[in-house]
Amino acid sequence: MPDWRRVKDRLFTVVTVALALLAVAPLFHILATVVVRGGSVIVRGGVSFFTDPPAYPGSGELGGVGPALLGTLWLGLVTSLIGVPLALLTAIYIVEYRESRLARIARVFTSSLLEVPTVLIGMLVFLVVVVPMGRYSLAAGSIALAIVMLPYTVSYVERALEGVPRTYREAGYSIGMTRAQVVFQVVMGIASRGVAAGILIGVAKVLSETAPLLFTIGSARGSYPTGPQSLLEPGDALPLLIFQFAQTPYSNWQDLAWGAALLLTLIILAIFALLRLLFREVKL
Amino acid sequence: MSEARFKLLVAPPAIVSSAILVLLFIVLLYYSLPAIREYGLGLLASPTWKPVEGAPGEYGLLIPLAGTLVSAVIAVLLAMPLALASVVFTEEILPRGLYRWREAFVSMIDVMTGLPTIVYGLWGAAVLAPLLGDTLYKWLHRSLSFIPLFSCQPTTGNTILTAGVLLAIMITPFIYAVVRESYRQIPRTYREAALSLGTTRYEYVRIMMGMAKPAILAGALIGFGRAAGETVAVALVVGNTFNMPSCLLAPSYTVSSLIANQFANAQLYPLMLNVLVSGGLILLLIGIASNILGIMYLRRVRYVA
Repeated sequence: MPDWRRVKDRLFTVVTVALALLAVAPLFHILATVVVRGGSVIVRGGVSFFTDPPAYPGSGELGGVGPALLGTLWLGLVTSLIGVPLALLTAIYIVEYRESRLARIARVFTSSLLEVPTVLIGMLVFLVVVVPMGRYSLAAGSIALAIVMLPYTVSYVERALEGVPRTYREAGYSIGMTRAQVVFQVVMGIASRGVAAGILIGVAKVLSETAPLLFTIGSARGSYPTGPQSLLEPGDALPLLIFQFAQTPYSNWQDLAWGAALLLTLIILAIFALLRLLFREVKL
Repeated sequence: MSEARFKLLVAPPAIVSSAILVLLFIVLLYYSLPAIREYGLGLLASPTWKPVEGAPGEYGLLIPLAGTLVSAVIAVLLAMPLALASVVFTEEILPRGLYRWREAFVSMIDVMTGLPTIVYGLWGAAVLAPLLGDTLYKWLHRSLSFIPLFSCQPTTGNTILTAGVLLAIMITPFIYAVVRESYRQIPRTYREAALSLGTTRYEYVRIMMGMAKPAILAGALIGFGRAAGETVAVALVVGNTFNMPSCLLAPSYTVSSLIANQFANAQLYPLMLNVLVSGGLILLLIGIASNILGIMYLRRVRYVA
């Protein structure tokens, strides 16, 4: 007579382990596919994969993703210039004036942005920036991405600042420091790791976003954004290029999409690795 | 810097950050109004989508709305067992000594959370869709076509079911994170009480999962919100066809993929832009509502030890 409780228990364990492995299995398949298909494209393209514009669709040539790569780097930079100060100061307000009504509103409203589908951020920026300006631009894309960055960075920095023990603030005040001095010289210093983590996570999130760029940056496949004046011009970015090239029937453009996907994945994984090196326990 | 000037430095950014959500809501509502006025309830209830140049076309969002709901529900149903099993695996099955394995597993889930959605989409379109189309869908249709959901002849891998499967893969890490955090907070006394009854692992986990039930519901709601708002990955695999998702093996549409495909050119057609914005407004409401409900469930998780 078998012990049904034991049999059930064994069965449960086996099924659970199988399902848990099934949950992470796609990650390996995705990474392997991206490395194999993207890797062969990058090897075939060589240096020109990183520098050239895409070749004509359907031609035997490959070309590269130069403008999109440069566009992604510009977007990362300008988004940080807008988003990081906004997020840091907002987080400081939320922590410093936590009893005030504005602080409570700011906390709830910025964290709610996390649940807003990012395509709607693109829609908003299209309606209030792109339409009045009359054209797509990298600047409009940066504004959209800064909004996407905001909730991640605010919540991280907020937690980092909250984590600074009260005694340090009191020590600062007791030697006659003003609130500004206490915040910028004492609290931010102690919380600097958490603040850096918040910024890095925000950057990683926005570099991998596609939807906010759909109606904001245009897709200027051939133009290289070389300086600040290019920010008011349409541009391109790696995720947008992947999305649009994946939908075309041209094999050379699909190849570029895979190469770009590997490049983008490596950039994101590099940021995560940096986070892991700098900080032990990081929730992405 | 004086206290007043410090406040003058940090208050405006806090106001700007808070205003974005309000601005989003107002702008979406403002641009939706012409569509709501013109089509009324038909906006939600009509399955027609007929763009006309130079005159208001006939637009209804019924099909994309149904597609969004069906794909997100499929995603939650498929992701739930995976996420719960992963929680049990890391918290109960992996022996304490193998903490490195647990760390590795949790890292993998973290990477899945951070992997760009467009990479999921590219893989979904190039690998997952053809794979499911050639194997599972053919089999489902052959063996189970008496069930209406599987009654249509699958012609391509780009279907509403593929969108659901891909979304399930994408939201599993989110549900896992919500449930795991709550599961770990179950007080030791409860765990010991259950173990002292001589439970097997299966019986023990059932009791613990019962206690974490609000967190499981919260995870489902938050996962649902994520799935409903996901755009580019879905747009690459859902088929983008105005087709009621009553059969899962056929291509369909979702609100977000409709916006992704049509919004840039919508200004060419009178009112189409407004209709798409009203679709966006519905997505916003779904996202916020599922999140608020989720947080309410999470608040109920109060273990009194």
